[in-house]
Amino acid sequence: MHPKTFALIITFSVLILVIDLIRRQKMTFKYALAWLASSIAVIFFTLQDTWLRTVAQWAGFALPSNFIFFLLLIFVIFFSLLLTIHINEQNSRAESLAQAIARLDYRLRKMEGKESDEKR
Amino acid sequence: MNPKILIMVPAFNEADSIGALIKEIRVSVPQADLVVINDGSQDNTGEEARKTGAFVATLPHNLGIGGAVQTGYQIAFDEDYDVVVQIDGDGQHDPAYTAPLLRPVLEGKLDLCIGSRFLEEDTETFRSTRARRFGIRFFCRLLGLLTGLRLTDPTSGFRATGKKLIKSFADYYPVDFPEPEAVKIAKRLGARVGEIPVRMRERQAGHSSIRYLATLYYMAKVTLAILIDTLKKNP
Repeated sequence: MHPKTFALIITFSVLILVIDLIRRQKMTFKYALAWLASSIAVIFFTLQDTWLRTVAQWAGFALPSNFIFFLLLIFVIFFSLLLTIHINEQNSRAESLAQAIARLDYRLRKMEGKESDEKR
Repeated sequence: MNPKILIMVPAFNEADSIGALIKEIRVSVPQADLVVINDGSQDNTGEEARKTGAFVATLPHNLGIGGAVQTGYQIAFDEDYDVVVQIDGDGQHDPAYTAPLLRPVLEGKLDLCIGSRFLEEDTETFRSTRARRFGIRFFCRLLGLLTGLRLTDPTSGFRATGKKLIKSFADYYPVDFPEPEAVKIAKRLGARVGEIPVRMRERQAGHSSIRYLATLYYMAKVTLAILIDTLKKNP
């Protein structure tokens, strides 16, 4: 198979999978955006490979394939960083919610204690 | 008017010892209110504490000591307490020292008073592991270098906190081995920090949150956290 066709099949599969995940509400648009944008960029560069060569040369890469690997690495690092931030946000939200529940638990039991004291 | 004092007891799976500890605290400081922060325990810690008539705030899952202590400060802030004393639920902190720990804060001399097990050169003093003692000495030096404080036990969780710090600690309290970082935060906020000698006991039940394997992570994490705190601006 021609590498160009192979690249297109893989990228279209990723694109369709991401769109389907959005459709099935398994992924929100916010988090799908990076995947959609990168898939479209790969399709564009695969179809317009002269542009890929020009950009790679301009960025100082002798081989366009090296440039693709470099972009891939950047994408993975950037996305991992975003996911780390996201996990941290979720973590502190879960912690705040747990603390809010504990504070309500404390208040509720205190009120119950006061009520039973008043009844006596 | 008498100051409002809250004793918070963070506890995780301490059902065997929590009841006796609460009774001891009540004898030592009868004028103080008491709340047990049940940190997502899987045993009957909450029920055992409630049996003694103590108020219990139950976290739905385990947050670790930092999250549990922060919950205590949040309750203290909500209920407008003047002083908070932290006594760990494992029974290691001897409640008999609560009154001397409270004194400098109530007298307005300190905003954060730490109970140090190393101030008194006493043979009966609780002996910790060599790795832990090395860690403690390291944090003493680091905090001394960055804040000018001369502490002997910045890792001790047995501490009394005045009103000046309650809101700040309710808003942010470090997670994972929070004690030395909390000292650094307190200094950044302009608090007066000091120590009094206390004796600590061997743990009565449960497991310590610091094991040998965790020591390395503890040292690296706390050092980094303290250094990053120096980059933070005051609110």
